[in-house]
Amino acid sequence: MRESVAWNPGRETVRADADEPDEVVLEPLLWSLFSLGGFITAFLFPVTLFLLFFAAPLGLWPSDPAAYSTFLARWGDPIVRLFFFVLIGGSLFHGTHRLKYILMDAGFKGPGPETFLDLILNGVAILGSLGALYYALRGWLFF
Amino acid sequence: MMRGREYPWKRRPGWWLRNRRYLAFQLRELGGVVCAVYGLILLDLLAQLPAGASAYTAFLNLWRTPPMWYLNLVLFALVLWHAISWFMLIGKAQPIQFTRRPLPWKVVFGVNVLLWLGVSGAVVYLIFGGI
Repeated sequence: MRESVAWNPGRETVRADADEPDEVVLEPLLWSLFSLGGFITAFLFPVTLFLLFFAAPLGLWPSDPAAYSTFLARWGDPIVRLFFFVLIGGSLFHGTHRLKYILMDAGFKGPGPETFLDLILNGVAILGSLGALYYALRGWLFF
Repeated sequence: MMRGREYPWKRRPGWWLRNRRYLAFQLRELGGVVCAVYGLILLDLLAQLPAGASAYTAFLNLWRTPPMWYLNLVLFALVLWHAISWFMLIGKAQPIQFTRRPLPWKVVFGVNVLLWLGVSGAVVYLIFGGI
């Protein structure tokens, strides 16, 4: 029978003597970080961005929560440092994973382009999260 | 049996402009990407903090001057839509079943919005030191 090239999920030939497929580890981990990042950004980003960029310029807040002296004073609190680390890391893993699939939908498909996207986008998410961790620990655990 | 010609399944370009639901979906996806952009902006903000008051204030003021402020406003609207549409989605994508039938998505949406307001209040007090 001729192999179909049409999209027909669940109709691939199943071979009983085939080698066991490799266990997938990274893919579910990245989707979990994407999901966790979506949860974090949905709940925490709107209020944070409003206070940092819009509250004071629009005259909706009695003082500027993002002013240098105010923000520096708050930055001494470990909870604030942990908050920004989680927020930045979550948003990067969520957004870069989403961008990968938008670009794949746009035609960036195949082993080569997908490996390229994985390297660049996961690299941004991992390095950005490490950067946020560095600033969260700087001045607290080391100088 | 005669078989028709088969082609690989492919979406048409601009499919997401065909109706409002597709457009709303794509805007939520775009909002997710914008979250990563804001992640990098916040990382840059943290990088300015050890550089001193003038560097930090210059960076903050850059994002508060037109046209950057208007760009910031558009990006913020996408992040808001990302959050609100996600709250709308939860009850549909993962129906919560406490009762014989899953809770209606509007109930789940309402609970999430209340939770969101509570969390936002906690962020105002715990992270930004209150009003």
